[in-house]
Amino acid sequence: MDDALIPEGAKRCAFPIFLIGIIIVGAVLLWGVYAMFLCWIKGLNQTNMNDYYGFALWIWADLAVIAVGGGAFFTGLLKYIFKVDELKNIINFAVIIGFICYSSALLILAIDIGQPLRGWFIFWHANVHSMLTEVAFCLSCYFAVLTIEFIPNILENRQVNKVPFFHHLAHNMHGVMAVFAATGAFLSFFHQGSLGGVAGVMFGRPFAFREGLLIWPWTFFLFTWSAAAFGPCFTLLVTKITEIITGKKLVGDKTVNLLAKISGWMITTYIIAKIIDTIYWAYVTAPSMGFKLSHFYSDNGFYGYWILITEVILCGVVPGLLLIIKSTRENPTTRTIAIILGVIGVCLNRWVMVLQIMAVPVMSFDSWALYIPSWQEVATTILPVAYGIILIAFAYRYLPVFPQELELNESADAAAQNG
Amino acid sequence: MIENKKAHKFGMVIDLDKCTGCGACMVSCMSENNVPFKEDESNKKDSITWMRVYKLTNGKSFPETEIAYLPRPCQHCGGIGDHGHSPCVSVCPATATDYGYDTGIVSQIYTRCFGCRYCMGACPYHARYFNWWDPKWPEGMENYLSPNVSPRMRGVVEKCSFCYHRYQLARERAMVEGREIEEMEYQTACTTACPAGAIVFGDLNNPAHKVHQIVKPDPHPDPMNHKVVGKSRNPNVFRLLERLGTNPKVYYMSEREWVRKAGDNYLKGEWENVKTHHGASSSHG
Amino acid sequence: MKIDRRSFLGLGLGAAAGIALSPVGVKLTDDSSIWTQNWPWTPVPEDGKITYDRSVCSLCPGACGISVRKINGRPVKIEGLVDHPINNGGVCPHGISGLQYLYDPARIKTPLKRNGNKFEKISWDEAISLVAQKLGEIRKNGAPESLGLITGGGSGSMAHLFDRFMGAFGSPNTYTMPSLESNLALTAAALHSADQSLGFDLDHSDFILSFGAGIIEGWGSPVACIQANASRRERKAKLVQVDYRLSNTANAADKIIAVNPGTEADLALGLCAVLLAKKQISTNTRYGDVNKFPFAAMLGKEYTPEKVAAITGVKAADIEALAMAFIEAKAPVAVPGKGRGDTGSLREFTAVQALNALAGRLNKKGGVFVMWPAGYLSFPENVMDAVAEQGAGKAKLAGSVNELADKLEKDGGLSALFIYNANPCYALNAPEKIKAAMDKVGFKVSFSSFMDETALRSDVILPASIFLERLEDVVSGAGLAKTVVGLCRPMVKPVFDTKHPGDALILLAQAMGAGMAQSFAWESYAACLEDVTEKIWDNLSGDGYVVIDDKPPVGTPATDFTFLVSAPKAALSNGEGEYTLVPVDKMRLASGSMTSSPFAVKTVPDTVLSGKYSVVEINPATAGVLKDGDIAFLKTAMGTAKVKIGFNEGILPGVIGMPRGLGHAFNNPYVAGKGVNVNDLIGPVIEPGSGLDAAFGIKASLSKA
Ligand SMILES: Nc1nc2c(c(=O)[nH]1)N[C@H]1C(S)=C(S)[C@@H](COP(=O)(O)OP(=O)(O)OC[C@H]3O[C@@H](n4cnc5c(=O)[nH]c(N)nc54)[C@H](O)[C@@H]3O)O[C@H]1N2
Ligand SMILES: Nc1nc2c(c(=O)[nH]1)N[C@H]1C(S)=C(S)[C@@H](COP(=O)(O)OP(=O)(O)OC[C@H]3O[C@@H](n4cnc5c(=O)[nH]c(N)nc54)[C@H](O)[C@@H]3O)O[C@H]1N2
Ligand code: SF4
Ligand code: SF4
Ligand code: SF4
Ligand code: SF4
Ligand code: SF4
Ligand SMILES: [Mo]
Repeated sequence: MDDALIPEGAKRCAFPIFLIGIIIVGAVLLWGVYAMFLCWIKGLNQTNMNDYYGFALWIWADLAVIAVGGGAFFTGLLKYIFKVDELKNIINFAVIIGFICYSSALLILAIDIGQPLRGWFIFWHANVHSMLTEVAFCLSCYFAVLTIEFIPNILENRQVNKVPFFHHLAHNMHGVMAVFAATGAFLSFFHQGSLGGVAGVMFGRPFAFREGLLIWPWTFFLFTWSAAAFGPCFTLLVTKITEIITGKKLVGDKTVNLLAKISGWMITTYIIAKIIDTIYWAYVTAPSMGFKLSHFYSDNGFYGYWILITEVILCGVVPGLLLIIKSTRENPTTRTIAIILGVIGVCLNRWVMVLQIMAVPVMSFDSWALYIPSWQEVATTILPVAYGIILIAFAYRYLPVFPQELELNESADAAAQNG
Repeated sequence: MIENKKAHKFGMVIDLDKCTGCGACMVSCMSENNVPFKEDESNKKDSITWMRVYKLTNGKSFPETEIAYLPRPCQHCGGIGDHGHSPCVSVCPATATDYGYDTGIVSQIYTRCFGCRYCMGACPYHARYFNWWDPKWPEGMENYLSPNVSPRMRGVVEKCSFCYHRYQLARERAMVEGREIEEMEYQTACTTACPAGAIVFGDLNNPAHKVHQIVKPDPHPDPMNHKVVGKSRNPNVFRLLERLGTNPKVYYMSEREWVRKAGDNYLKGEWENVKTHHGASSSHG
Repeated sequence: MKIDRRSFLGLGLGAAAGIALSPVGVKLTDDSSIWTQNWPWTPVPEDGKITYDRSVCSLCPGACGISVRKINGRPVKIEGLVDHPINNGGVCPHGISGLQYLYDPARIKTPLKRNGNKFEKISWDEAISLVAQKLGEIRKNGAPESLGLITGGGSGSMAHLFDRFMGAFGSPNTYTMPSLESNLALTAAALHSADQSLGFDLDHSDFILSFGAGIIEGWGSPVACIQANASRRERKAKLVQVDYRLSNTANAADKIIAVNPGTEADLALGLCAVLLAKKQISTNTRYGDVNKFPFAAMLGKEYTPEKVAAITGVKAADIEALAMAFIEAKAPVAVPGKGRGDTGSLREFTAVQALNALAGRLNKKGGVFVMWPAGYLSFPENVMDAVAEQGAGKAKLAGSVNELADKLEKDGGLSALFIYNANPCYALNAPEKIKAAMDKVGFKVSFSSFMDETALRSDVILPASIFLERLEDVVSGAGLAKTVVGLCRPMVKPVFDTKHPGDALILLAQAMGAGMAQSFAWESYAACLEDVTEKIWDNLSGDGYVVIDDKPPVGTPATDFTFLVSAPKAALSNGEGEYTLVPVDKMRLASGSMTSSPFAVKTVPDTVLSGKYSVVEINPATAGVLKDGDIAFLKTAMGTAKVKIGFNEGILPGVIGMPRGLGHAFNNPYVAGKGVNVNDLIGPVIEPGSGLDAAFGIKASLSKA
């Protein structure tokens, strides 16, 4: 039915099956959209946020998708600037994932703010001292860059590409992509960092506050670094999931292992820095404000040392090692375990740096505050996931996302059903 | 810090040994500032109270138990080194909350705030409140709203303003008459209401003002913590979370040691060392 | 023109670019933000000229001077009146919230008549003639004594006007809700002489021995008392609190004497006994005291420190030390009246006052003043017609509201009842019993401003304007050692179709004709007030208040100890259970007749009210399996309620403290339907000899819900 749109030579499932899949995910999407409109029309009383939890599930989701979306800028940086050519096999997909993540992040922000129609005040009345201003500027600019990076891939659709103008446009854009990749990397460095800065500059919150370099707290650098380190894990994870769903191999092992290896080294170096930061904070920064480490991990029903150990050791040190050791990296099972742990690790880090900060009491007579999100918050948080699945489904079906697809599936195609 | 001789630095000192926890300050504030109310206000995490009175206990069993009430308006923090970068002001991306260098008052511009709530996260005193709901008054009750403080719309943050409109009225009057405003001319609604006379408000920069005389603020940075400026030289006076370097302009006073200790966080053994240290009285006395 | 894909796409892109570059987007974005800044459903208060007007708050017996800020005549804020002799600028949370009462959703907006289960709006003319007709029938039937009146007490012109109405009507059946004032009046009557009252000169005392009085929690004139306490440090005055719970007053005290609930009288008598034994009273002995020797004999026999220690739980040595500290102070005073002073037995009040008497603290600076009524009112002689004379000689049905309720429930006795300034169906213990008693009365007329529990049960409501809408003289009392008459002035025209209750009463009397009309010959309450306050009117209307007296009365009054010699021992609390439930007053919650405002309720912490649950205080040591925050069933002989458990180290083990002032049941979602009315769980224990409800609590049990 839609054969004319499907990339040449590629096998795709029958249109009705595709449609059914889209309808199922679309229903989830609509649920999210309904919740989103509830929040816009009735206000944020639809959430379980409160004056202790001004930042909650959404801001975590926001930070998490931006972190895992970091695969796009980092892969782009490697491919276009450091000329790691092997990554051409995954760069399209990395960009699409990045696009999804960043568009989701912007959407979440538009729901999260109490006065969405005044959202632009952040640009118009910008306060240069605020990390959030930096985030807003870099995030919007980088989203524009990602859009530009995504466009050539869209223009490669079989029908669109027939239009000579678009054909040439796509070609020329590929040519200058290095410029955008560099811009993207630069912007990403800042907004990933300033997202880390959001927490680190809060000198009223000893759990969050970090010393740093000039105006940037250590969390600034740790966030950029962790996004670069764990972003590729997410790219690989989504690739793996897509491969499982489509039943096809889409990216060659060489590419996968290369990206995994780079990620492994990034994770390992990051986690060393993170451990140093944690120790310095636990033994110098927090005590200087009168807090013992145990204050942050006791006297409440949820946050214990387990969360610190899980984040740093189980989901930091372990995946780092698994990915730098050749044998575990090249074993698909241990590699997959590592990338899953890595994605969990970075999400947990963002959780801690948003929600645990809000939970910890600061005044000696205050108490821990725990919170459970409302369904509206959950639905609007799942909304981007559904949207991402749909966008990936369309991109995979109609765009030549994976350059290696045909070559990797030649033999299999003859026998197997397509996915 | 701004060494402008003309600049005011409004602040208060609250005598916790006098405070009875009656709540008159809270209600006076709500009534003065058009603070709305909902049917159920028992969840204190979404209940807008610019002034909130906390109840502290010494944690001992009856009959050794002691309590203290601690009224908490916005602390009008001067930020690290008292340079005006309050925890909240420095993070607001839209400059919707600002530091008044001429008054020391941290303002809140409701019509500019777009409700990102970053400032709330940054404030360790929970002095900021978000309008989760549209403010609503029972039929007819809007009639008592004061035009001097605009009612806030849903989706923005609000907090204690040190009754800034009272300052404006006093300043206008003084300006017309070509003089400085007087101590008693600008008093906040919580101060005047307090039946116990527990709150003293005035200009911390003005040695003639009672608040200055009680607090005796040390204008120099604390030699033990350079982030801290304006430490009191009165041994019974302290600030909340002073060690963080937020430099509040709200001071507290108590003769009870456990109450003073509850004002901040201390590691084991630290309190014994710091409790006697009060803004280098000998060198600057 | 043929539109191919290429030109279509081109056109589309061009149009998009065009719109993006045009000012349309910018304009819409800007407009939408301006719209959010001016949402039509967010009110914009009208601006105008600021003025200040002075008046008096009469929400409680405090009688504080207030200043009302207005914008173009529209009241926007209530503040304390600086330099006022009672409160000098201070106010309490309830007074500040006054404007919320003005627009209260539960306000009664027009006169109402019961029709089956509903109320029906009627005009004032109809209402007055309806009531006049019913009352006329009662008089025609020759039973004027069957009209009853329950009031909140007070001693201003309104109280006199109601008394006058009852007198002219021919009924002796006037009952006052228990209050600190009524308790002090009873105490004075029992020990000194009728018609007197007591004032405690806390401002000048250097040793205040409080028997559970919530001096900073609403006792007496709340703001004046808080101020007296606040000045203690400068004055070097001590406060010793006798209590079983770390109330805020106990917390503020220099010393707490932990006492078993309900044994305050025994402690006071024990202290008297020590003074006697140590011959500390000899120099203060006064010729003229009555029955002192039997009293002394009783003290010596039954109130030795050891015996008192066994009853009260206070060590014998501490009792002696306390007595000596008291007598050795320069200006000591003993203060009776647990909490707000509205509960407790007469034995307790008189025992404490006996201590003052023995210590020679009567009519001394810093002591207790035995005061005569303000006496500024001069009403013309009441005109007693034949029917009035007929009823005037009849005996009262009962000695107190509580006894009245008992009597009514058992054998009726009233054919009509006026309720003014009282909400007995909420404020008295066992309100269900009170409601049943009220149902025995054929015709109930309420003068309430709010559709509260009692108003809901009346047959006709003549809605009263609230204090902000009316003119009235407000006399201080409430245990103050000075007498100040303040003038409450209308700050705003009545918001609804209500009337001053004085005007309603005058209209009613005039409608009834005969002697009643002659007794109420004023054209309005305002005219009446000016007439009856003639002696002080110029100063009252000029300054807003008149200080009648603020010096100790001259001379020492005689004390008659007869009542104490024969007074029955403390009433035991009834029922079963391992705990003792006691009501606890919170300054931020009004109790009794006054309902808290939305603002006041908002200030109530979640350790007192949590959602729809009252939180009860319990010492963790005696909580058993219950944990902090658990929902539990609290059971007493009177009923069961679902409550939330709140651990509190500051309460005697085995005692459950439950906040008073919650559990209202009427139509105001901001203040009613929250928590339980503790009175529902407590049964009255009537003290023989005084008729007071002496219940200080009740046995109770707790089980997890
Ligand atoms: N906020 C507020 N203020 C008011 C009022 C109001 O409704 N709300 N009402 C006004 C009125 S009408 C009145 S009469 C006054 C009353 O003013 P108070 O009589 O002072 O009032 P309570 O609040 O009843 O006092 C309760 C306290 O008494 C103590 N207590 C209770 N039972 C016992 C006991 O058995 N032994 C001992 N030792 N202590 C006990 C407890 O510590 C408790 O805190 O307040 C006036 N002021
Ligand atoms: N168990 C227990 N029993 C108690 C108490 C307690 O704390 N516990 N408290 C005791 C005490 S201290 C008291 S004072 C009594 C209170 O006794 P209540 O019966 O509570 O008091 P009232 O003052 O008679 O009732 C107040 C009525 O006055 C009306 N009202 C309010 N403002 C105005 C006004 O401006 N004008 C007019 N005309 N009416 C107005 C209201 O509608 C309300 O119905 O209860 C006593 N009983
Ligand atoms: S009004 Fe005064 S006494 Fe009452 S709670 Fe506030 S500060 Fe304390
Ligand atoms: S108390 Fe909070 S809101 Fe007030 S100035 Fe300090 S940080 Fe800002
Ligand atoms: S919520 Fe408003 S005041 Fe607070 S940081 Fe955001 S824009 Fe600024
Ligand atoms: S200073 Fe004014 S705004 Fe601040 S708490 Fe007091 S009354 Fe409220
Ligand atoms: S203490 Fe009583 S009289 Fe004074 S302001 Fe409060 S309610 Fe009014
Ligand atoms: Mo009372």
